[in-house]
Amino acid sequence: MTRPTTVSKGMLVSLLAAVALTLMPLPDEISPARPYWVALVLIYWNLEAGRLRHLGQAFVLGVLLDLLTGTLLGQHALSLIVISYLTERFRNRLRFFPPWQQAAAVMALLFNDRIVQLWVIGLTDDAWPTWTWWLAPLVGLLLWPWVFLLLDRLRQFERLQKS
Amino acid sequence: MSFAAGTWSPGTGGDQAARTARLMVYGLLATILMVLDYRGGYVSEIRGRTAVLVEPLLLAVEAPFALGRRLGEELRSRHELQDRIALVEQQLRDQEAALMMLDEFESENAELRRLLEASRRVEVAFRAAELMSIDLNPYSHRVLINRGRRDGLEEGQPVIDADGVIGQVDQLARHSAHVILISDPDHALPVRVRRTDLRTVAYGTGQINSLRLTDLPMNVDLEPGDVLITSGLGGLFPPGLPVAEVRTVTRHSGEAFARAEARPLGRLDRARHVLVVAINAAADDEEEVESEEREAGDESRDAEQEPVAEEVDATS
Repeated sequence: MTRPTTVSKGMLVSLLAAVALTLMPLPDEISPARPYWVALVLIYWNLEAGRLRHLGQAFVLGVLLDLLTGTLLGQHALSLIVISYLTERFRNRLRFFPPWQQAAAVMALLFNDRIVQLWVIGLTDDAWPTWTWWLAPLVGLLLWPWVFLLLDRLRQFERLQKS
Repeated sequence: MSFAAGTWSPGTGGDQAARTARLMVYGLLATILMVLDYRGGYVSEIRGRTAVLVEPLLLAVEAPFALGRRLGEELRSRHELQDRIALVEQQLRDQEAALMMLDEFESENAELRRLLEASRRVEVAFRAAELMSIDLNPYSHRVLINRGRRDGLEEGQPVIDADGVIGQVDQLARHSAHVILISDPDHALPVRVRRTDLRTVAYGTGQINSLRLTDLPMNVDLEPGDVLITSGLGGLFPPGLPVAEVRTVTRHSGEAFARAEARPLGRLDRARHVLVVAINAAADDEEEVESEEREAGDESRDAEQEPVAEEVDATS
């Protein structure tokens, strides 16, 4: 049984939206707590549709994100492949969690990612992130149900159009 | 195509192992990229090439926000605008008065320089630019401005705001450019203390509101409140631009050198309108001074071990 590996239109739209939201200007006070949009979208497509599951895709996406945000090249790539790997690893369990528990698991993934990124930031002797930076996984938790519903809708819509 | 992949069987042991191996490979690749980027920017070539791809995306995201800002300005009340015009006119009058004095000084200065047969002052031109609304990674110490190669910008040109130096042009695209802030840990700027003419190098610390002066002699004449200005050595920055104000000077008895911490005068985190400074190459004869600020920045890590050699190298 093979799963589609190509990138569909809906996926592309959702990824572009995630990138745009990542670049969207926010006031300085809350911009560190900006949720990791691209990771949320990536987790959704892997979890629910079993797409975008290849580490190569996560890697390319991460490098693109690094280039766009002017981050150290490879930082987001590393963080996204770790997320992609873990999601795939626990996919069968996560899929059948009740929604709130799934959201908690997503938050755990995002929190783990903060630690991965903190490791990189620490090695490059940048300034230590402020405490609001740690709020991002929490914001991700709150947003997950809505991202989930929205992307589910998008996917259904796409499926209807195809049939 | 249309089924949900719920029946997908759990990965067999072999599949899992292959995936772990791939994770390792990609992880290694990402780490190598990071190291290359961190150590002396071997990947700046890649960044330059991909700018063609990345820039349209950035501009596309920027467009609605720029429009929103313009609309906000259009909708601002007439009353408020008139107040602002009055304020700006007042400022203009004050500054014109100051400029008249300056004209006098300038002609006097030129005459003195002729008498002393000193080299002519560096001539500079300013080009206004505006920061783009896009949020880059707050830890990257880079901002985007809305002028690029098409507007005649060049890499390495200084960027200032009304209060002082902000950074220098780092990566150029057609309609936009990355500016590396002086607070970036990779950035080093040859400076001079205005009061004592002491020459040194100001390094970025990774914190937006602080610069670091290392390798100062223990008996250095430096006090909190001293203003640092660009020394013009290195040839990229014209001399005399205000950079920072010394906040603290520390002399640890166990160490060979004193350190100082300075607060940048330019509003690195809040400036919206900036000026890009173009040095008129025809007017200066500083071509012999080849050492570039960026190179000094790349070596700033080695400076920890051999501070004296580094300072000489950066300022010679």
